[in-house]
Amino acid sequence: MVYTKKHPALLIMGVLLVALAAATDAGLLDGIVEYLKIGKKTGEMTGMSYFFGIVGVLVGAWHLWGKHEEGNLDYYLSSVAGAIFILFIAMIVTWFAAPWIAVISKSMGPVMADKYLHDVLGLNYVVIGILAGIITVNVFKIPGWAENGVRLSRLGLKTGVILLGTLYSLAELVYLGKLSVVMIGFFVLGSVGLVLYLGGRRKIPNSMGGVLSAGMGVCGVSATVAAAPVVQAKPTEIAYTIGTILIWGVGCMFLFPVIGHVLNLGHIQFGAWAGTGILNSAQVAGAALAYQPDGIETLKVAEIFNITRVLFLPIIVLWLAIWYVRREESAAGTQVNVGRVVIEKFPLFVLGFILMFALSSTGIFAPAQHYQGKYFDNKLAESKLLTAEETALLSAEISKIQSPSRAEALARLIEGRKIANIDDDAEIRGLTNSRVLSKEANDILKKAHGAVYHTAKKVAKFRQWITWLFAFGLTGLGMQITGAAMRQAGGQPLVIGGIVGTLKAVLSLIVILLFVKETI
Amino acid sequence: MSENNSQNIDLQKEGKATFHRGSALSIFKSDRAEDLVALVCALLIALGVYVLVG
Repeated sequence: MVYTKKHPALLIMGVLLVALAAATDAGLLDGIVEYLKIGKKTGEMTGMSYFFGIVGVLVGAWHLWGKHEEGNLDYYLSSVAGAIFILFIAMIVTWFAAPWIAVISKSMGPVMADKYLHDVLGLNYVVIGILAGIITVNVFKIPGWAENGVRLSRLGLKTGVILLGTLYSLAELVYLGKLSVVMIGFFVLGSVGLVLYLGGRRKIPNSMGGVLSAGMGVCGVSATVAAAPVVQAKPTEIAYTIGTILIWGVGCMFLFPVIGHVLNLGHIQFGAWAGTGILNSAQVAGAALAYQPDGIETLKVAEIFNITRVLFLPIIVLWLAIWYVRREESAAGTQVNVGRVVIEKFPLFVLGFILMFALSSTGIFAPAQHYQGKYFDNKLAESKLLTAEETALLSAEISKIQSPSRAEALARLIEGRKIANIDDDAEIRGLTNSRVLSKEANDILKKAHGAVYHTAKKVAKFRQWITWLFAFGLTGLGMQITGAAMRQAGGQPLVIGGIVGTLKAVLSLIVILLFVKETI
Repeated sequence: MSENNSQNIDLQKEGKATFHRGSALSIFKSDRAEDLVALVCALLIALGVYVLVG
C-alpha cells in the first residue's frame, strides 16, 4: 500500500505559513498583534512559520508531483501532511484563538482575586487545542491525506513529558518538609487506589480507570498524558480525564477560599489544602491567590505541594503498568511476572523525565536551586542597585506598614539597596501585592524584585518547546475524539472523579486541621 | 523497518497474540519504539537548547 496521497493540501498549507511569516516579519499584522497582546510571540511566529512553511512547500511538492512507491520513505513522509495540518491548527489556537479569548475575558475584568474568567475556566491553549481537534474531526472529518500524520500526536506528548523534567530541580526538595511529602504521598497514592477500586466496582474499562486515576491522583494534564500509553488509553478517555479534572478544579477554585475563610485557616494551612485537594496547577494558584490576594505565603506553600505531587509521577506510572497488565492478563487467565512487566512495560519516556530532572538538578540548564526556571541571585552590579532617591521614598513610607516582618525586610532593602535574601524577596512581593504603599513605592519594589529574581533563558526555551509539543499533541488527540466515542464513554468518569475528588478534599482538610499548624 | 513489514505498522505482539492496534495514536511499530524516538527527540532538543541558548 502507498500511503502518500497526491493532494495539494500540504503545499497550500506550506505557502500559507510562509505568507504568515513574511507578513509578520514585514509588520503587516502589527494591528492584530497589538490587539491580541502577542508581541512577545512574533519571533516564534516568524521563525516557526518560515521553517514549517518551507518544509510544507518542499514535501508538499513531492506529495503532489513526486513518484511514490511502497516503503519507509513513502510511509514516514506521508505523515508530514497530517503533522503540518495539526501544527497549523495548533498555531491558530496558540497565536490567535487563545489570546483572543484572553482579551475578551480581560475586558470583562477580574472575576476572582486578580484572576480573569479564562483563567478560572482554564480556557488556555490546552483546552482550546483539544476542542479545535474535536470540532475538526466531528464537523469536517479528518481528510485522508492527514490520517497518517495525526498518529504522530502521541510522540509529541511523550517528548513534552520528558522535557517537563527540565523545569524542576532536586535542590527544591530542601523546601519540602516531611509532612508535605507524607501528606501528598498518602493522598496521591490513596486517590489512585480509590479510582482504580471504584472503576472496578463500576465496571469502567481498565484503560479509563488507569488514566483517570493518574489524573485525579497526581496533577492534571501532564500525569494524564504520561499514564495514557501505559494503560493504552483511548483519546476519548484522555479527554474525559482532562475534562473531569478541569471541571472539578473550577468548582474547587471557587469553593476552597470560601470554606477556608469560614474555618479561618492560616496561610500555610490553606496553601497545603489547596495544593493537596485541587488537581490542576493553574487552579491551585488561583485558589491560593484568591485566599491571600495581598501576599504570596499561601501561594508558596501551594507550589511546594504541587512540585511534591509531580515527583510521584514515576511511581504512579510504574504502579499503573503493573496493575494494567495484571488486570488484562488475569482476565485472559494467564500468569503475570511482575519483573517482566517492569522491564517490558515501564515507559522509557518516564525514565527520560527522570533523566532530564537529574540533568536539571546538576545546574547545567539553570542554577541548581531553580524552580521552573526561576532563581534568586542578589549579586548585582552598581547600576542595578536602588538609587538614593528611591531609598528615600521608601524610607518615607515605611511607617505605613503594619506587618513587622515586611517592615524589617523593607528596612534591609533600604539599607543594602537590594533585596537581602529569598525570604525577604517573598516579604517584598507580599508587600507589593498588598498595595499598602504608594504606586511609586510599589514600582520601586517591583524593580528591586526584578533585579534579584531571574529567569533562566534555557529553561524558558524548554518551556516554549513543551508548550508547542503539548499544543501539537493535544490538538492531534482531539482529532481522534468523535461524538460516538464520547457517548460510548458515558458519564461514569465524572461520577468517579467527583466521588474521589470530594473525599480527597474533605480528608485532606481534616488532616490539615489536625496536624498542620504554621510550619511545614 | 523493511519494506515488507512497513505496511504492518499497526500490528502489535503481546505474548503469543498478534493483533492490529486499530485506533492507536502511533505510527511506530511498538510503544517502546515510540518511547525511544521521543527520548532521542527530547535529548536532541536539550542538546540544542544547551548549546545554542544563553
